[in-house]
Amino acid sequence: MLFNSLTFIVFFAVVVTAYWSIHSWTARKNLLVTASYIFYGAWNPPFAALLFSTTAMDFWLGRRIAKAKDQPSRRAWLVGSVCMNLSMLGFFKYGNFLLENFQWLLARIGIVYHPPHLDILLPVGISFYTFHSLSYTLDIYRGVLQPTRSLRDFVLAVSFFPQLVAGPIVRAGDFLPQLVRPPRLQIGQFMWGLLLMTLGLFEKIVLADTMLAGSADRIFGYAGPLVALDSWLGVIAFAGQIFFDFAGYSTCAIGAALCLGFHLKDNFRFPYAAIGFSDFWRRWHISLSTFLRDYLYIPLGGNRVAWTRAAINLVIVMFLGGLWHGAAWTFVVWGLLHGFYLVIEHASRALIGERAWTANFAVKLLLGLITYGAVCLAWVFFRASDFTIATRMLRGMFGGYPHGDAILATREMLQIGIVTFFMMLAHWSLRDINVETAVTRLPRWVVTSAWALMACAIILTQGTSNAFIYFQF
Amino acid sequence: MPSSTSNFKRILRLPRLFFRPPTEAESVHGGPPLEFERPIPQIPWRGMTVVVVVIVIAAACAWEFYCRSIGYGPTLNDNEDLWTLTRQRVKPESIVIIGDSRGWFDLDLDELQKGLGKRPVQLAMGGGCGYPVLADLAADKTFHGTIICSFVPWLFFAPPGTPPMERGEKAVRRSHTQTPAQRASQYLAMPLEEHVAFLKQEELTLDDLLKRLPIPNRSDARVPPRLPPYFGTLDRERRARMTEECARPGSELQKRIQQIWLPLFTPHPPPSYIPTDVFMAKMKDAIEKRARDTIAAVEKLRARGGKVVFIRLPVTGGLKALEDKTTPRNQTWDPLLQSTGAPGIYFEDFRELASFNCPEWSHLSAGDSVEFSKRLVPHLRAALGM
Repeated sequence: MLFNSLTFIVFFAVVVTAYWSIHSWTARKNLLVTASYIFYGAWNPPFAALLFSTTAMDFWLGRRIAKAKDQPSRRAWLVGSVCMNLSMLGFFKYGNFLLENFQWLLARIGIVYHPPHLDILLPVGISFYTFHSLSYTLDIYRGVLQPTRSLRDFVLAVSFFPQLVAGPIVRAGDFLPQLVRPPRLQIGQFMWGLLLMTLGLFEKIVLADTMLAGSADRIFGYAGPLVALDSWLGVIAFAGQIFFDFAGYSTCAIGAALCLGFHLKDNFRFPYAAIGFSDFWRRWHISLSTFLRDYLYIPLGGNRVAWTRAAINLVIVMFLGGLWHGAAWTFVVWGLLHGFYLVIEHASRALIGERAWTANFAVKLLLGLITYGAVCLAWVFFRASDFTIATRMLRGMFGGYPHGDAILATREMLQIGIVTFFMMLAHWSLRDINVETAVTRLPRWVVTSAWALMACAIILTQGTSNAFIYFQF
Repeated sequence: MPSSTSNFKRILRLPRLFFRPPTEAESVHGGPPLEFERPIPQIPWRGMTVVVVVIVIAAACAWEFYCRSIGYGPTLNDNEDLWTLTRQRVKPESIVIIGDSRGWFDLDLDELQKGLGKRPVQLAMGGGCGYPVLADLAADKTFHGTIICSFVPWLFFAPPGTPPMERGEKAVRRSHTQTPAQRASQYLAMPLEEHVAFLKQEELTLDDLLKRLPIPNRSDARVPPRLPPYFGTLDRERRARMTEECARPGSELQKRIQQIWLPLFTPHPPPSYIPTDVFMAKMKDAIEKRARDTIAAVEKLRARGGKVVFIRLPVTGGLKALEDKTTPRNQTWDPLLQSTGAPGIYFEDFRELASFNCPEWSHLSAGDSVEFSKRLVPHLRAALGM
């Protein structure tokens, strides 16, 4: 079920009330497991069985890794876990993509092959829960986590409903310790959780879906050439939409978890105020970038190897990061572009070094705007469903169609401009602090008014239960 | 945890209405020491929450009061989930109404039930093309009932990718893929929508309020035409009824809607990026394909013992003149009946059906729809061989 649906409001109210009314910690955890599987099964009940089987396999494999007496055995069990998880992901998410590309390759050498189209329904959030589960065996192998004795606790760690389908990617090592002793209900924490949920829903329903999504969809769905202004505004609208959509989901997840007494880490830290691409990836989808850093980039050698090898490692990581988002070459190009940006940045840093003038605010702002522009360019490939659209968009953005069409209403242009301006203002104002600090510093009447205003805007907008963009990944 | 739970209960019983600084207990996490713990802003949460709840309730009540004062009343929203619930009521021998908003507003289910012996299932949709639903019912091997298809050429022959076609396709797709959560949300939404006037999607949402702002567009901007405002109510059977304000002779609302229909039903200029002759050829191909697909769907249904009857429902005033000009009967209605071999009822062919006036040119008032349906029944019975 979606956070922005009536079903979720009722579901959450029932779960939270029951959860804090029950005294037994075991019973509470059982309740959360049941609730999480209902939450997930409400999309497609059979997929709950798939989720459980993946979890149970990793639970067992985790124990095998811990019990293994020598390194080759440990590695063999880990390989088993990685293969099991990735083959599940590969079958459901990349099956048709692989077949189509295999067909294309054969055609290049003159072999005509018509693979059957696999009518596979993608289980919601498979990319997320696969990584939740995989982090467990990887951390046991790395020796940073002891296997849990409780299957129920591990099932809850993987399926905990606030973060189950669209992140943050919560590692078992961050969640399992929270299941040792029951949290106490604290009014401040509970209310802060509710405020974060309001903020998340406001970002999703009001800012992403109402203010930006319509314009972005029309621009990217238009079959003809567009003038530069409309092309740029479409991309800027999508940049805002995807941020508010995904950050909104993460904020809701963090808030819902807090209401239940659990602590999830930040997934976004004002990414559009990033100065450079390394900084961007420390602020955007942090749980994925740290996952890729710890389990892929560092094992590949990280930046402890020669410069060229480190650059190749970066590109490999971003290539796979792109592919994680979707089974399409456009996502791969998006990832590669980011890999390329990172390599350029690392090279520039090596050449320029730490100079005093780089600390100047004007220089930082300029670099930040360049970063934002480059990130927007990459979004073109992320949003476009094929390269024809991406090429047309890029051509439009750089003045390739001076006599192209203008399709945005003035109202839409104003919406994009105003929302983007305030988003950038907020990101730059808050880039060095967190929301909690900002809320503590603000006058109380401002926080109260903002909370009430967001809640009223959500009610006014009503929403049509549009799915979050990241559900498809 | 008994002590904390009872604390919470006590706090709930005696809410603190005034701001107060947080206690020490509130600022310390109660669980085990964690590697990571989110900071919690230290502000007077209870007082703030009470103020927020009061503001939100007051604002919602004020908005509800205002919406009712300007003529809005509670009604269900027509969305894919309501359509799906209705689609699930279709039995193998049902009578099903499909097509556009005229089939939705103009046909009274009570009168049709009296005249035809079965209560029809209402699957027509506002601004929708009937073809996707016709094709879906034709593909449903269990269905061998009767289809009453409202026909507005501009909508029925809408090419793929256009809003009327997408609306029909989305509804059909949802009926095949509706999740338990979506179904539950619809059941929860209906009682709310039946009692709260401002829960009117496509009219009173923030998005729609923004669309109403009188901001001029660039002269060359290709902006989609506006859709008509709220002028009907909908019940759980998806029976639509025109509001009294819209039906009131000479009302402002009526005039506004009339002026919205004209650009909506005027053929849009071809896209700038396709030569006109290529575009026209594509449109012709799309219409011919739709005709072929319709024939195939009707034949498939007929082979199972099903029946299809097309009906052209009343249209008046400037909109009728426009439709007659852009989609003349001899180029749309006549070839459709001829090629499908299905019976048809054209309102203009019968004096008792042609004498109705559509207040906003496109639909009958709620009262007239009852009388119209009563008069339509004998024609339907004859067309269906009953």
